[in-house]
Amino acid sequence: MTLTLLLLIPFLGALGLSLWPRTLCEVVARRTAIVLLIIQLLLSLRVIFLFDSTDGGMQLQEGLYWLSSLGLDYRLGIDGLSLPLVLINAVLTLVAAIVSRSISQRPRLYFCLLLVISGAVNGAFLSQNLLLFFLFYELELIPLWLLISVWGGSNRAYAATKFLIFTAVSGMLILGAFLGLAFATGSVDFSLTPVTTLQLSMGGQILLLSALLIGFGIKVPLFPFHTWLPDAHTEASTPVSVLLAGVLLKLGTYGILRFGMGLFPEAWSVLAPGLAIWAAISVLYGSLAAIAQVDMKRMVAYSSVGHMGYVLLAAAAATPVSLLGSVFQMVSHGLISALLFMLVGVVYKATGTRNLDVLRGLLNPERGLPLTGSLMILGVMASAGLPGMAGFISEFLLFRGSIEKFPIATLLSMVGSALTAVYFLLLVNRAFFGRLAVTPVDPNSGPLDIRIPASTLVEQLPSLMLAGSVVFIGLWPTSLASITESATNSMAQLMSTLSIVLPIGVTP
Amino acid sequence: MPTLLADLGGAGLGMPSMGDLSLQLNAGAIAPEVAVLLALLISLLVDLAGEKAASRWVPPICYGGLGAALVLLALQWNSPLAPSFFGGFLADNLAVAFRAVVAASTLITLLLSWRYVERSGTPVGEYAAILLAATVGAMILCGSTDLVSIFISLETLSVSSYLLAGYMKRDARSSEAALKYLLVGSAAAAVFLYGASLLYGITGGATDLASIAVALQTSAKPVAALSLVFVLATVAFKIAAVPFHQWTPDVYEGSPTPVVAFLSVGSKAAGFALALRILVGCFESFNEQWKLLFTVLALLSMVLGNVVALAQTSMKRMLAYSSIGQAGFVMIGMVCGTEDGFAAMVLYMASYLFMNLGAFACIILFSLRTGSDRIADYAGLYQKDPLITLGLSLCLLSLGGIPPMLGFFGKIYLFFAGWADHQYLLVVVGLITSVVSIYYYISVIKMMVVKEPQEASDVVKEYPAITWNLAGMPSLRAALVGCVLVTAVGGILSNPLFMWASSTVAGTPILQQAIAASGGGAAALG
Amino acid sequence: MTINLPTSIPLQAYLVLAALLFCIGVWGLINSRNAVRVLMSIELMLNGVNINLMAFSDYLDGQLIRGQVFTIFVITVAAAEAAVGLAILLSLYRNRETVDMERFNLLRW
Repeated sequence: MTLTLLLLIPFLGALGLSLWPRTLCEVVARRTAIVLLIIQLLLSLRVIFLFDSTDGGMQLQEGLYWLSSLGLDYRLGIDGLSLPLVLINAVLTLVAAIVSRSISQRPRLYFCLLLVISGAVNGAFLSQNLLLFFLFYELELIPLWLLISVWGGSNRAYAATKFLIFTAVSGMLILGAFLGLAFATGSVDFSLTPVTTLQLSMGGQILLLSALLIGFGIKVPLFPFHTWLPDAHTEASTPVSVLLAGVLLKLGTYGILRFGMGLFPEAWSVLAPGLAIWAAISVLYGSLAAIAQVDMKRMVAYSSVGHMGYVLLAAAAATPVSLLGSVFQMVSHGLISALLFMLVGVVYKATGTRNLDVLRGLLNPERGLPLTGSLMILGVMASAGLPGMAGFISEFLLFRGSIEKFPIATLLSMVGSALTAVYFLLLVNRAFFGRLAVTPVDPNSGPLDIRIPASTLVEQLPSLMLAGSVVFIGLWPTSLASITESATNSMAQLMSTLSIVLPIGVTP
Repeated sequence: MPTLLADLGGAGLGMPSMGDLSLQLNAGAIAPEVAVLLALLISLLVDLAGEKAASRWVPPICYGGLGAALVLLALQWNSPLAPSFFGGFLADNLAVAFRAVVAASTLITLLLSWRYVERSGTPVGEYAAILLAATVGAMILCGSTDLVSIFISLETLSVSSYLLAGYMKRDARSSEAALKYLLVGSAAAAVFLYGASLLYGITGGATDLASIAVALQTSAKPVAALSLVFVLATVAFKIAAVPFHQWTPDVYEGSPTPVVAFLSVGSKAAGFALALRILVGCFESFNEQWKLLFTVLALLSMVLGNVVALAQTSMKRMLAYSSIGQAGFVMIGMVCGTEDGFAAMVLYMASYLFMNLGAFACIILFSLRTGSDRIADYAGLYQKDPLITLGLSLCLLSLGGIPPMLGFFGKIYLFFAGWADHQYLLVVVGLITSVVSIYYYISVIKMMVVKEPQEASDVVKEYPAITWNLAGMPSLRAALVGCVLVTAVGGILSNPLFMWASSTVAGTPILQQAIAASGGGAAALG
Repeated sequence: MTINLPTSIPLQAYLVLAALLFCIGVWGLINSRNAVRVLMSIELMLNGVNINLMAFSDYLDGQLIRGQVFTIFVITVAAAEAAVGLAILLSLYRNRETVDMERFNLLRW
């Protein structure tokens, strides 16, 4: 029942908000949403205590028969892979609701959509039925489209439509692959049972896996399907960016791990070398593109493309260590990118620009944004993988786990990781260090004025919380590892036993 | 009645006694149609008493007739099968299900119509009578199992539809739509008749579908194929499949909007019932041929309907092309010819009833308030009319197959059935075109929801105050809210609907035969 | 020597006649600009069908004559259709003062 509550709270909350008979002012809507999300977070924390960390399989399973003729049953479960993501979702949706301060227009709709997205993401992470996952995956599409296109920046219509089309295509690819998978076994079954060569030829498996990979690759996003992401981020408001980068992209990597690797182990081990190369290309492309950006938000967005590529590399290697690293990477990327997007949002709100050619010396303690600047430096360090923070642990595990299997791809990804340091140092160096420019740097850009005095500590509380948790995971990785390890180990075991079992002709 | 005469001649050999005759007539099967017919006659009589009495009494009479028809249909559900009118009509579950869809679509259409008709200043009683006549035709068509009864009911439906399309006499566009519909429709009927006459000839004088099916197995292939093409063209015309769709956008744009609502659901449902009866029930020995042709039609419909819909600026025209695309999706179920395929068809028609009529309810309401039908005029509507905005958004999302709406489950079921039957091409094209369809449905929602107040269209800026107290408005609101509710919640609670769809297939002998045949074929292949 | 009239003309002759009539109807349907002529062409198509039905009925179905009954229905319905068609045409003529198909272009055809 606990898992169902995780869905019911946001969905019923959204319903309640939308049906509230009187006009709802912004403050009430926001507070209601925050209270609901706090309850959701507490419930997710309760799941940790109910969770048996030694068991690598699905736990707390619950279900109902729904549409049996369609093979669509309501079945939920949680394991070490989905639990951290459910937690991240609870934390980041709460943070997004807290930082949604200036939603003057249509607050009711805004917070409803936020709750729906949170519920849908929970549902997708918890589903034990392919069609149920697809339902939740599609459910999150329209609310996010609305969040971008109603509360976004000036070019929001274009960005939102692009997001919509890319994600809709991704959904259709995934549905096609799921249908193919379900019928491959002979009997229609949308439960999560891996497919073997006995049921489906290797060619068919590779075809379906490719559809699945492209579908989720759009969502992750991986090069060359990433083009919607920078646009969507640039036009989305700060809370939406937090959600998008922190939670929704994880649907893609989760899908690759759970459905790509988990359901097509044989085809996966055939494709793995190619996937590692693809991951390395994606990492390098994301990092290089980030260097070229002058918009801070676009830079962070491209860094997401790079950093999510690591997860694919780790999944391709599929060793226990690399898989553990991939979960760490998902969690730490969620926290770090959310932190960075929030800080960029603060800068944008204070200065009215995100242009790195214009911003200078924001770290100035008198008239600048010293707290924001400090947090930004911390976030950037974490993202570049400096020891003592979450980014370091995940990258270390990732590269350590992958290098034996794919040395070249791993080395290339490490170069990408080094490039992270380059572009984020550029960002910090340009925007925060140096003299605070009172006169315009660029004569065409107009005078730069700091409109809002340095934000209060309370306003920065969410950022501080996120920064704190980044350091917490960095210093005490066991907290996360203990939850996840048994699940990733059993996944890796599936892959390694398989490579022994496979007939010689099939192994790569 | 006509079939009775046609077959009395046929039954002349045995010369049944009167007791046998009433038994063989089995006229109880058309009790629902009789209820509608009675409502029609009473409406016409009431109409004689003057316009005032008509607008007071015609609506309850129609509700009574259609409600009684629905109740009688429910009573026929799963009842023992016996052919009526010497094989002219069969009230199997397929017929009951599709007749229920037709009757429900008429009921909802009437709820939507009163205000519209009243405002256009045309007589209410006549309008209701013609619509009910079309309903009787469509309902009998769903259960017809004889070429003669098919022809008569098809023409009853068609001729009434022409009249409905041209009901706005003073509007040249309405007359033009009616004339185009009439010319194309009559030509299609003539083509059907030519095919039927060939069938009559090559089967050695049989007009009922069961004996034709038997005779076709041994008859001359080329002529039979020719008659198949003729009959299929007419069926495709009725369900507006590409390339027999050209009439649809024009007729939809020119006709009164409530009529379009009926044509897009009721008439189309009857067309699909006809398609099932003739193609599945009769041309079984040409399974491969008609399935191939239907696959092509489905592909063309999905692609052309959905792609051309992108470019439309008129709401009704956009929905016309979208309905062509939707018909393409439904045809996937028919091509499969499996249990799931047929069930998915029935399910999708039922969900299409609610989502499409819900969308039409919103469009009718909008055009009543503003007189406009252009998509661009919906800009910024959320501020002025949240009900239309919400209702139209939900219905369009459902048509686009977004969860958790009803349309999502219907569409998934169609794709599921298609994939199970290895119709990969159809399913893949269906998936791609539903992305396209999401795009144009969303762009309407974008107009309504996303546009800022300052970007609102002139029509919306001068939006009248919302009142519901005019005659005919409460019923319109009831229909709108009802359809939208079913569309939004029906998906999650769609289990009974799935049961209903599968028992429709289970209670229909011709479908069971087809399933057994295709199952046997698959087993032979395997 | 008895003359058996019906069989002296083969069935095929009727069928060819019917097919010709039908084709002429189709040709007229496509090529006429005058809406009344289009209606007449449809009547020709229906008459082709009627000849078909009658011929089949006489040659193959002499006992039950279903085809002849069918023909009665076709004629009846065709009359109804023509009546409705002319009525619509009349109302359109009142609005537009023409029966030229090319000028019915308010709706994109």
